[in-house]
Amino acid sequence: MKALSAVARREIRRICSRPVYLVGMLLVPLFMAFFFLSLLGEGLLRRVPVAIVDLDHSQISRRITRQLDATELCDITCHKESYSQAMDAVQRGEIFGFFVIPAEFESKALANRAPTLTFYSNLTYYVPGTLIYKGFKTLAVTTSGQLVQQDLVSKGASNRAAGLILQPMVLDNHPMGNPYLNYSYYLSSSFLPGILQLMIFLMTAFSITQEIKRSTSVEWLATAGNRIGTALVGKLLPQTVIFYILGLGMNALMFGFHHFPENSPWWHMALGMLLFVIASQSFSVVVCSVIPNPRLALSVVSLTGILAFSVAAFSFPVQAMYGWIAIFADLLPVRWYFLIYIDQALNGVALYYSRLYYAALLGFPIAATLCAPLMKRALKDPVYVP
Amino acid sequence: MKIFGDIKQWFLETAMVVRRETARALSDVGVLIFFFLLPFAYPLVYSAIYNPEVTRDMPVAVVDECRTAESRRFAREADATQAAKVCGYASDMGEARRWMADHRCYAIIHIPSDYSERLGRGEQGVISIYYDLGLLLRYRTFLSSFTELQMATDTRLRTELLNTVGFVSDAPSNVQTEAYFLGDPQQGFASFILIGIVVLILQQSMLLGIVLLDGTERERRLGFDSYGLAELRGVAPSALITGRTLSYTFLYLPATVYILHYIPEFFNFPHLGNMFEGCLLMIPMLLATAMLGQAVRFMTSERESAFIIVVFTSVIFLFLSGLTWPRFAMSPLWYGLGSLVPATWGVEGFLRINNNGATLEQQTIPYLALWGLFVLYSILAYISARHYRRR
Repeated sequence: MKALSAVARREIRRICSRPVYLVGMLLVPLFMAFFFLSLLGEGLLRRVPVAIVDLDHSQISRRITRQLDATELCDITCHKESYSQAMDAVQRGEIFGFFVIPAEFESKALANRAPTLTFYSNLTYYVPGTLIYKGFKTLAVTTSGQLVQQDLVSKGASNRAAGLILQPMVLDNHPMGNPYLNYSYYLSSSFLPGILQLMIFLMTAFSITQEIKRSTSVEWLATAGNRIGTALVGKLLPQTVIFYILGLGMNALMFGFHHFPENSPWWHMALGMLLFVIASQSFSVVVCSVIPNPRLALSVVSLTGILAFSVAAFSFPVQAMYGWIAIFADLLPVRWYFLIYIDQALNGVALYYSRLYYAALLGFPIAATLCAPLMKRALKDPVYVP
Repeated sequence: MKIFGDIKQWFLETAMVVRRETARALSDVGVLIFFFLLPFAYPLVYSAIYNPEVTRDMPVAVVDECRTAESRRFAREADATQAAKVCGYASDMGEARRWMADHRCYAIIHIPSDYSERLGRGEQGVISIYYDLGLLLRYRTFLSSFTELQMATDTRLRTELLNTVGFVSDAPSNVQTEAYFLGDPQQGFASFILIGIVVLILQQSMLLGIVLLDGTERERRLGFDSYGLAELRGVAPSALITGRTLSYTFLYLPATVYILHYIPEFFNFPHLGNMFEGCLLMIPMLLATAMLGQAVRFMTSERESAFIIVVFTSVIFLFLSGLTWPRFAMSPLWYGLGSLVPATWGVEGFLRINNNGATLEQQTIPYLALWGLFVLYSILAYISARHYRRR
């Protein structure tokens, strides 16, 4: 116990002595929290710039134009006279899509000669592209509906009957947990833990391999009474405390200050965060045990830490990935924390359903314990290869 | 005629820096990893992750309280959509919710008991669908499939209804619609995100490599043995930064062609524009990045801190580039910061050339912005180089 506190005090002195610790353990995570929470603003994209190509110039085509401009999704920033002009604006990046009303649209529509409304959305930019597609599609369908309704009424159907006939069946969609489809809920709640994991990976590997690089590892081990367990726990505990406070702070920012959905008791996420911080540290310990070389260990943790944003499937589901890639997702602490977040904070299901995710996070410290003897060998005889 | 001698001297110095710096980069395994292994391997890894492009046949639970031909038909047709696969009939909503909590399904279709009855009476039938919002992509895929199903069902029911009340059924749906997706016709995830990521990889790997080189340089004072810029002490700062920049840019040309041309070819990503113009756009980006890397020399006190300083910026730069969240919706602060990152303009210009088939002439703004950044960072790199020469 005495040795443990000696190692911990030694570590606190080390942390305070180098500015890089301040940057990596405090400034970067705080900046990232500020960045993600402010970047998306309200988390809802509105008024994406689009163009309209009106080749008809009729009463109906003007009505369509007005309706399109009135939707919250699209903002008509320019009127173009041809497809190629509009395409040029897309290629220049001025607009994200355009809606074409063909010539003689009105006369064909009223004569039942089936004119075609065409719309183009630039899916090179996925989020605005799908958004305006939705806006265009809705407009095309309602325009078609209005014309049919007009036609039916003129043939003698009552207004109400004509309206019902247009949509005999509707779907009532309930996106659960995030009813306004706030994009920020996704991004911040997955990317902030991702950043935290990356910085924990880096700082753990940095602080351990620095000892090897500067040959202070012998003294470190001696302070711990030559016990690797004491040495590692004593060294990493102060960092655990710092990162855990940061993690809780991030959660408080999201769930408290920004009112992200949190449908579980707060301690479900707090417990998840604690296990997640320890698991991330353990991951880095495993890497440093196997590769006790500053440059290689840091390369490996930074490459995995960055790849984690993709492999941990914050946006593209693991189930759709190739099987051999999906395995890697299981090796990342942030994957399990993300699943806990979905279950607990977003969906608010019983703790029982997330039991395996919490247990998986406990697997990382166990793996680190198994690798500790390797680490001890490296610490006893530090070799620095630049 | 001293001036000609000076100019000649400057060119000789620059040439020497190019030679020395190239040799230094090629002899450092850490730098080799970032300059070569990373730009060659990372695009492959990312493509492998995202290559399935779309997610299909996601499990859906059906709670059918109606149990009529019409309700079963809807369930069958939902099963037939690209997005959904009916994983089973739950006896009630409670059971379906339990399935969802267990991740056995990601959506629940609830057909109320009066669904067919209402349709038969000429009233509007309503079917509720509940989605798990763990992933936005799942919800979007479901929603677009189910919306199409609703429209198809409406068209069918409408014709039936009109026929029963005696209207001629040629009138409805007399307006056709056609939707085209530009740049990513299959709406795939890889086709949209990969092209931006690979451009960013070019910038970030180069930055990491340069910062690593400068970190190594400063470590010499700590007594670790490595050779470096100190031997170039007498060289003019402008020759130094020009030489280094040329050296890195040359080293990156093969990787640039590989990433911009061969990766989309390998994986069948959208690949429309003229790649020569794409590469022309990349040249100012590489030059500006090389200068940026030298300008931030003061931030690295040693080799390993390069990781802590540079790695996390990849995430920031990815978002600042506007790939996922469009730049026009950003606050002036983040828009301005994004404009200072070479990759922002590189991603923007290259995406439009590659995915939308734009020409370089249409990318005048990104192209000029990149040259502007090059000038800006050259000045900063010059100041930095002068500062370190004096020390």
